[in-house]
Amino acid sequence: MSLTTPEKRAWLVKVPLFRDCSSEVLDQLADATAEFEFAPDAPIVQQGQVGNGLYIIVSGGARIVAGSDELARFGPDEFFGELSVIDQQPRAASAFAVGQTTCLALASWDLVAELERDSQLAMNLLKELAGRLRAADVQLRH
Amino acid sequence: MDQQEILDALAGLALFSDLDRPQLQAVAHTMSEESFSSGQRILRQGFSGAGFFIVLEGEVVVRVDGGDVARLGKGDFFGEISLLLGEPPIADVVANVPVTALQLAGPDLREFLLAYPAVMYRMLQSVSRRLDRANRRS
Repeated sequence: MSLTTPEKRAWLVKVPLFRDCSSEVLDQLADATAEFEFAPDAPIVQQGQVGNGLYIIVSGGARIVAGSDELARFGPDEFFGELSVIDQQPRAASAFAVGQTTCLALASWDLVAELERDSQLAMNLLKELAGRLRAADVQLRH
Repeated sequence: MDQQEILDALAGLALFSDLDRPQLQAVAHTMSEESFSSGQRILRQGFSGAGFFIVLEGEVVVRVDGGDVARLGKGDFFGEISLLLGEPPIADVVANVPVTALQLAGPDLREFLLAYPAVMYRMLQSVSRRLDRANRRS
């Protein structure tokens, strides 16, 4: 798969993270994201590295793994890798491709710039992370 | 606390560290000061509709099914996760000593954060750090 910038934009507009984002931000995202392909089970990000970007899954999927525990699985239109970008800590988990996987990657500085440009994007991300935090807190109690 | 003391307290909090003085004054006007006596419950597990709180003085305990899971002090905040998700709190938050807090009514949080993107970014960092910690514990 090799998406053109207009194709990336047409796809990004359907991703829940970018819902209601400004047209300007979607244009910038289409420009700034880079497409990456991963073979089944290939590492996408590795535990211990400082985050260099956010990954949005176009097709395939990702398993998020810390040590020997699987923390989550994400599929098309979902994203991961944002925590290390925002809190600037080494990644707490690794991500491995589930089947042949295509991702769009957004570099840290571009993510931060877009969050500053569009508070709707920041709100979408905040809500999604609030949901993940609550799910993790509930899980830890059981 | 008088208005000046509230402003000084707000100015010292990480959540508001990117705001200038006029913005801090606007924030102080938007939020209401509330006092809680020792032992008083501020948020109740399973009951919705409370609000977003920032501790200015004192300490609160976060209690789940009767067991203490965390303590929060000056500058810490709570209630935002439930409001963002539109779900009831999953913990009680109880004043451990006399507590002074600023409260923002539940329905106002979204508009408040959109009006102060720098505050939203600080909150995003806080939620990220907590999620990161939760992931490392599991």
